[in-house]
Amino acid sequence: MCELFAMSAGQHYTAQEYLPLFADKARANMSGWGIGFFREGQVHIEKSCEGIYAGDHVHDSFQRLARVIGSRIIISHIRCPKSGHQQESQAQPLTDHFLEHHWLFSFTGEAPKKGFAFESPRPLMREPLLASRVFEFIRDGLESQLADWSGSSLYQGLTVTCKKLITQYPGEYAFFLANETVLFAFLNHGQILTYRPPEARGETLVLTTVSGGLTQNSGHWHAYPNKDPNRGQILIISGADLLYLGHV
Amino acid sequence: MCDLFALSAAHHYTAATSLPLFAVRGRKNVHGWGIGFFRHRQPIIEKSGDQVFAEGRLHGSFQRLARVVNSPIILAHIRYKSSGIVDECHAHPFVLDFWSQSWLFAHNGKAPLIESYTSTHVPVLKAISDSARAFEFLRDYFLEAEPRRPHTPFLDILEEALALLMRQYPGEYNFLLTNGQVIWAFTNHRQFLVLKGSEKLEDALLLTTIEEGLSSENWQRLTVGEGSLGHLLLIGGGDVILSVDLFP
Repeated sequence: MCELFAMSAGQHYTAQEYLPLFADKARANMSGWGIGFFREGQVHIEKSCEGIYAGDHVHDSFQRLARVIGSRIIISHIRCPKSGHQQESQAQPLTDHFLEHHWLFSFTGEAPKKGFAFESPRPLMREPLLASRVFEFIRDGLESQLADWSGSSLYQGLTVTCKKLITQYPGEYAFFLANETVLFAFLNHGQILTYRPPEARGETLVLTTVSGGLTQNSGHWHAYPNKDPNRGQILIISGADLLYLGHV
Repeated sequence: MCDLFALSAAHHYTAATSLPLFAVRGRKNVHGWGIGFFRHRQPIIEKSGDQVFAEGRLHGSFQRLARVVNSPIILAHIRYKSSGIVDECHAHPFVLDFWSQSWLFAHNGKAPLIESYTSTHVPVLKAISDSARAFEFLRDYFLEAEPRRPHTPFLDILEEALALLMRQYPGEYNFLLTNGQVIWAFTNHRQFLVLKGSEKLEDALLLTTIEEGLSSENWQRLTVGEGSLGHLLLIGGGDVILSVDLFP
């Protein structure tokens, strides 16, 4: 299974300590990686179809990017070999512009047994990439929920859309969806772990799907597990705080 | 009764059109005004004990500030005193720190019982009013809840604080609380009017308590649900992220 990483902060921060740890813990996933972030309202993504590890070393570019990228929200993805594709364009995070924001999307999960037959009128790519189909489903759902804005919230739109996702296409899903202000995390399987780095004095929050977290002491990580795939959870994060935890 | 205004956008914005309209439509509030925003995460407040609108003219400084203040989040308050004296110190917004962040707070309501509240933390606000004490009450609750911060969503703690506030000091509360990234808007008595995508005012998210809104457009009225303790909005990046009623 691919692995996800995110860091959210009240101001621009680098993830130079935690991105290499993420790479190390997810080193079994050798099929590509990506880092996405925001700068002045625009999305920037650096990704590669090369393994996150070359020999005993974290990929050179990944390491350098980890040191250099500074943003309030950073999302990273390490791709598993099972995902069945090697092209750089299909590495994550993915991005699109809708609801007047640039969004980053990063996904891990398993397709429903009956397949994921959703066809968006506005596909992001032609290739049969599950992450792309799920992103399109979420985007189209949010757009439709919030089309004639009548005071409804992003969370409300996302809840309805995620409920449709797991009802219409029962499978295993976990994703991060972020604009320049807020990060949503959804999961209906596995767990998302959060960690507040002590050295950042409460200014950043790190999230990952890597079991046990990224640091030596897994007790410092708080897990949000989800055992029932028919139900899900949505976390809302902004700055260094988990603002809300809701159930789907 | 005082009135509140907020602008939220994904990027820096001025409220050059809507702020003067807010002051004109709220001119019955004759006991001062204030504008608050953040620059590089530092709160900046300009406030006055003067009337915002007198002798057919807007206060000169308010008018100039409306043209100049440029921030993703702008709060404004025009005061009709129900507690405390009329001077700059008693005008809103107020600033206090908790959870490693500075917060701006602007309040509209009447809660005489909270005037007796004595904070157990420092600093305390110089103003002698229900609004100042209510803000200290919330700050104190968050400071005492800080050990739970790593694993408890912000909203859970805010809900607890509000429930306790209204149980121990019943009254009318209607406030805006912001750390420069998101705005929490709470009311247990008046409605909020919210507008997105204005063609006449700023194309950001605008919120006010002014009964008729600030333009002839389709302002959404968000009111307290039946049987609820109050209604709470989470706003950020120009969106309503979350909208919930609080139940006992």
